[in-house]
Amino acid sequence: MTAQEIVSRIQQQLAGQKINWRTETVDTFKAGDPETPVAGIATTGMATFGVLKRAAKANRNFVITHEPTFYNHQDVTTALAQDPTYMAKQRFIRENRLVVWRFHDHAHMLRPDPLVAGSARALDWTTYASPNEPRIYVLPPTTLGALAAEVTRRLNGRAIRVSGDPSMKVTRVALGPGYGVPALTTAVDVAVGGEASESGGNAEYIADAMAAGQPKGMIVLGHMLSEDFGMREVGDWLRGFLTEVPIDWIPAGEPFE
Amino acid sequence: MIRPTRRAFVQAAAAPVIAGAGLSRAAEIQPARAADLTAQQLIDRIRGAVGIPWKEKTIDGFKAGDPATVLTGVAVTVAARLDTLKRAAAAGCNLVIAQEPVFYGANDEPGNRATDAVYLAKKAYIEQAKLVLWRFADHWNARQPDPRVAALAEALSWPAASNIGEGIYRIPETSLSALMTHIRSRLGVRGGMRHVGPPDLRVRTVLLSPGTTDLPSTVARLSGADAIVAGEPREWEVVPYVLDARENGAAKALIAVGRIVSEEPGMRACAAWVRTLAPSLRVEPLPVGDPYWSASS
Repeated sequence: MTAQEIVSRIQQQLAGQKINWRTETVDTFKAGDPETPVAGIATTGMATFGVLKRAAKANRNFVITHEPTFYNHQDVTTALAQDPTYMAKQRFIRENRLVVWRFHDHAHMLRPDPLVAGSARALDWTTYASPNEPRIYVLPPTTLGALAAEVTRRLNGRAIRVSGDPSMKVTRVALGPGYGVPALTTAVDVAVGGEASESGGNAEYIADAMAAGQPKGMIVLGHMLSEDFGMREVGDWLRGFLTEVPIDWIPAGEPFE
Repeated sequence: MIRPTRRAFVQAAAAPVIAGAGLSRAAEIQPARAADLTAQQLIDRIRGAVGIPWKEKTIDGFKAGDPATVLTGVAVTVAARLDTLKRAAAAGCNLVIAQEPVFYGANDEPGNRATDAVYLAKKAYIEQAKLVLWRFADHWNARQPDPRVAALAEALSWPAASNIGEGIYRIPETSLSALMTHIRSRLGVRGGMRHVGPPDLRVRTVLLSPGTTDLPSTVARLSGADAIVAGEPREWEVVPYVLDARENGAAKALIAVGRIVSEEPGMRACAAWVRTLAPSLRVEPLPVGDPYWSASS
């Protein structure tokens, strides 16, 4: 079975769930020959150099990545052509006959969104999902400080950042994937997500809410701690209709030390 | 950076008034009124002096209040939060110049927060305190050399002469962990600081990239530096780029201090610059500090 045949199978599966393939999408082959026979699949939050080395060692030559391979959303490589890191990564892919394909836009269209469901499962929040509000979790009453400690313990995080008063009371949490910490409103207590711009958004809103006497909080997990687990979920989904090749989850992991 | 207490700030802001104790009572109370400068007039001076042709499409501009307001004082800050606005008003400043959005979005449109209680409370305070808000980011950041870089170096006590070009500073050889300790104490980082690279990595050259730390400028410059001190590097861009460079054997490190922390020295420099355009006016930098704390400590 070739990488292209596997992608066609994924597209058929999506079509069966009324998810039509988009004409404009970042979900394309990023490196390697799509006609390469696949020995095994690795799903990952991001095809970092480290993930590619682990995949090659485990004989998983088809890497399905959620985030880019070459450091920008469109994987444009013109400015990188002479860059030693980029050239070494390309050489490694070539020499190990790896194929890298991105599964981002269409992965987020699945219901439930596996990138959110994966984080919820890693956090052990699945049973708290609000029945009629997507991405909202109603937790047993806690505080922002205790919640941050629990999240850090569950995800084994090293660089999780928090904004807001640690003693504030929390029950309603909005969980978003990747570069999508949900926008705080008065409808939730805390937003949890991967990565957020500090330029106008929750950080200012939290400060203003505190000054206005309505405490709010945010827990910023980091992009990979927020989406790696979702790609484990995608691996489970693939196994439901792809039984010919082994499928492993190779997390990129938290980049910060 | 040491954040002044509110009382210390108010006292510092009041210092010029105390210094003018020999003057008449009216002059004491209203030191800035002599010129009767309006917000619009000061902004016109800024636009004329910034040295960057005014862009047709820009986020810089008035975000709230009446531009015809006669100024009593100017506060310059990274983020015009409600508590910052209250501190500005308490210090007698009715114009707030901010680097970042006032209303939580790049274009300062409240969007689905238009009926939100927090948004409304902020808007009501601005109206009640008769404040004027003006955003200054596009043009300030476009100045060459980038004023945020020199200001950040100064905050880290790195002399201008140690700038070897392209925003890279040569520093006395140190370890990554010692460099992080230095940065943490100088910039007042509370919990937002994150890093890639081993603590014992030797560092002699540092690339300063405050604000948004973008990929093209990092790729172009990182070969000349051991470490990059970043504001806000995207975690699908500069962060994995440094990670992969390390995987490929390059002895590089990344320290992300956060966008707001990285821009505070620049806005202090901006306050000093605005002061040169209106010497009779009170112009004060208002630090806001690191919005984050660490869940791991």
